[in-house]
Amino acid sequence: MLRKYVGFVPAALLLGGLFGFALVVTVLYSFWEVSDFEVKANWTLGNYEYLLSVGTYARTFGATLAMVASATVLTVGAAFPFAYWLTRHVSPRWRRPLLVAVVLPFFASYLLRIYAWIAILGQNGAINRALQAAGITDEPVSLFLFNRPAVVLVLVYLYFPFGVLALYVSLERFDWSQLNAAMDLGASPLVALRRVLLPQIGPGVVTAVVFVAIPMLGEYVTPLLVGGTKGVMAGNLVATFFDTGEYSRGAAAALLIAGFVTAALVYFRRSLDLAAAADARH
Amino acid sequence: MRGTEPVVSRLGRATRALLGFYAFGIYLFVFAPIALLVLFSFNANPSGAFPVTGLTTRWYDAMLADYELRDSFWTSLEVAIQVVVLSTFVGITAAFPLARSGTRFLGAIRVWITLPIMLPGLLIGISLLILLSTVLGLELSRRTAVIGQAIFTTPFVIMLLTARLEGLDPRLEWAAGDLGADALRRLMHVVLPAVAPAILAGALLAFTLSFDEFIITLFLIGGDQTLPLYIFNHVRYGITPAVNAVASLFLLGSLSVLTLAVVTTRMLRLPFRRR
Repeated sequence: MLRKYVGFVPAALLLGGLFGFALVVTVLYSFWEVSDFEVKANWTLGNYEYLLSVGTYARTFGATLAMVASATVLTVGAAFPFAYWLTRHVSPRWRRPLLVAVVLPFFASYLLRIYAWIAILGQNGAINRALQAAGITDEPVSLFLFNRPAVVLVLVYLYFPFGVLALYVSLERFDWSQLNAAMDLGASPLVALRRVLLPQIGPGVVTAVVFVAIPMLGEYVTPLLVGGTKGVMAGNLVATFFDTGEYSRGAAAALLIAGFVTAALVYFRRSLDLAAAADARH
Repeated sequence: MRGTEPVVSRLGRATRALLGFYAFGIYLFVFAPIALLVLFSFNANPSGAFPVTGLTTRWYDAMLADYELRDSFWTSLEVAIQVVVLSTFVGITAAFPLARSGTRFLGAIRVWITLPIMLPGLLIGISLLILLSTVLGLELSRRTAVIGQAIFTTPFVIMLLTARLEGLDPRLEWAAGDLGADALRRLMHVVLPAVAPAILAGALLAFTLSFDEFIITLFLIGGDQTLPLYIFNHVRYGITPAVNAVASLFLLGSLSVLTLAVVTTRMLRLPFRRR
């Protein structure tokens, strides 16, 4: 009887025994006390209280949520017209190749896609050179790098493919003749879009939002490389705590991020379009 | 109604043109940063950016002479190969019961398996750091990095293989059984050939994910450095022409593996589909 479960053993060891146990230990650490750089098994909420009571840390969490929210809105907002164009105005023969083309840069190294933006936004980057060539500025301005808008821009760039894929899958399944039918019955194009299209592709939009926002919440490299001191996100906080050996506080900060992720998944679980999500992942 | 038609179609044409223009802008947005990177890698200007003062390949020569870079490349390769072996093995063993045992806990197991994909890599990195180094007292090394990366790559392999196994027509195996093939023969001659493309695709995916992985490795590798870590340590303080050259080759590498994955799975695609 048990024979058919034998195959699960290696996976259970790796994903359960190691990873599951690691998560449990992390949760325990976040609720345990630290004194003299030693973690003691005394239960406390102190680590979480500390994070939320120190102004800089609380503000960093707030800023993280704000940056992720604006980057998500921009990503999905930019991806929607594109996905619409692809499904409506491109002949079926060209749809796949054009979709693959827009997703292709996503297969380039994650780190390099961030690095590429330093060459555009930085001191002797493309924008500064263009401004100088046009005679608008005399010398390089450091206006474009090391701030929150730069972080948001790069986040949009990084996760744009997720948005396009989730929206494309959902728009492709929509029967556009329903829209014409609505308009034949007297609905204006905008009303038809809102009352016929939106309810049907809603799950696709939600999926796009969730799959774009989740990885953004845990970002560490983007804020570090293009955000500088002004664009710090929660992920940097976690890394700093671990660098300085404050494991309990770091664990608490990481679990707060995981809490946001879980909250997003639970809140949207009913409207998530999992078929679209599965398609988007391949 | 007839009178309004030309207006609508003119509006429609304008929207269409506007959307086409927008799509062009999107392609520009998506490709320009990467194209610039490649351009800069051939730029003679030692600042590593604009202006382009001439074309040269000397940054590529400099790159080949960089010992630290070569070491990090071999480290990346070593780690990636171990990750591929580990996650393909775990993936194959788990995919069969997942696709076929029909246990009651299937839903829960699936959620658990996708967890490492859903959770931020940061959390995987720090939780394993706490477990492996503080609780188990292991020294951080390439081996701990392999474990961490495999936790992230294995779910992808499992998902790919399970999907393939579920799409396999069970009648093929029944037919083989009727013809007298035992379980081992059915596995070797029917099932494995059918899922081979998925295994290969899974292995290649695990390889690229591992080669590109940054955050988990950062926390778990200790004193060693993989290629992404090397690049990270060199770009923290701005762009350099040498890193532009590394970046361009890295891009070429990723694209080659991707092409390989697409081509081989196409070639191996067999007509074993349900329905």
